[in-house]
Amino acid sequence: MPAAWWTRKRHYLLYFVREFTALPMALWLLWFLVEIKRAGAGSAGYVPHSSTAFVIFSVICLLFALYHSVTFLSLAGVILHPKVMGRPVPPRLVVLAMFGQWAVASIVIGAVLIGFAR
Amino acid sequence: MATRFDPDKDSAPRLQSYDIPFPDESMVVLDGLNYIKAHVDGTLSYRWSCRMGICGSCGMMVNGTPKLTCNAFLRDYWPKPVIVEPLNNFPIIRDLVIDMEDFMHKLKSIKPWIIRKQEIPLGAGEHRQTTSQIDDFRQFSQCINCMLCYAACPVYGLNDEFLGPAAIALARRYNLDSRDQGLKERLPVIADSEGIWECSFVGECSVVCPKGVDPAKAIQQTKLDTTMRFLLPYGNREP
Repeated sequence: MPAAWWTRKRHYLLYFVREFTALPMALWLLWFLVEIKRAGAGSAGYVPHSSTAFVIFSVICLLFALYHSVTFLSLAGVILHPKVMGRPVPPRLVVLAMFGQWAVASIVIGAVLIGFAR
Repeated sequence: MATRFDPDKDSAPRLQSYDIPFPDESMVVLDGLNYIKAHVDGTLSYRWSCRMGICGSCGMMVNGTPKLTCNAFLRDYWPKPVIVEPLNNFPIIRDLVIDMEDFMHKLKSIKPWIIRKQEIPLGAGEHRQTTSQIDDFRQFSQCINCMLCYAACPVYGLNDEFLGPAAIALARRYNLDSRDQGLKERLPVIADSEGIWECSFVGECSVVCPKGVDPAKAIQQTKLDTTMRFLLPYGNREP
């Protein structure tokens, strides 16, 4: 297999992008751990990182995270095969349920974080 | 253009151009190869049999995509040239003929037949199944072992120890069959690190399958089932 096999087809490229999006997410989470460690020393000396470069990096990571989440949840219809009353649930409904849970979880986590911030 | 390779003479495969007539729109790539064999160069080697997408013999790379050549219409490529090559990821025996030994070993390893702990005597009658029970595995039983999925799978291309899409889809076909009791015999092979866990869900196997089988689905569902068997209490109970 040539090293550039993933450029041969659009499907391969999209797969590669999907897998690659995990890398910036991992980098951002590492950064987040560093920030938690800094904040652990106490709020007095802690100044949140707010440089333009960091904001741009975070926005890019957010876009990658959204792409990764959308592709991951869309594939749930392929993987999960629940049955209700002995009949298989249509994959589209499974995907809708996953996106619904994602939206609810995001709202709840967002509300909790905003509540703590206040 | 078609790949030519004679292991006794050539150090590497090469492409050779042929001009063939295109008299009607129903002509498929396999018809073109048959024309070359009959009228231009009788030494061209390739596999084919049924000409109707059932036997799975005539799988080749057509313009870089794994296809059954009996199901690839020339009208979809004309007027551009059609490049026919042997299936990717397999050793070439000669011209367009690939070596399938690796797949045959893998196919046998997943025991693609009904396994019973105790055979039901013939006198007991048919082993009946409901339509729902048949629907559980029917899709995966449509595999014709054409190996297009192996040619499309970059994971198999990078690591030929990988059990591969068709073998795992067939294992799932039997594991989901209500008559079968062989799950525990197949698990060591399919749940091995070179089995389902090697797959990174590229999904191209399902795209190229000419029979609408979804091997990527079979693999991901098997991953989920295997994990649940491991995590849930009594997960390893007898089926």
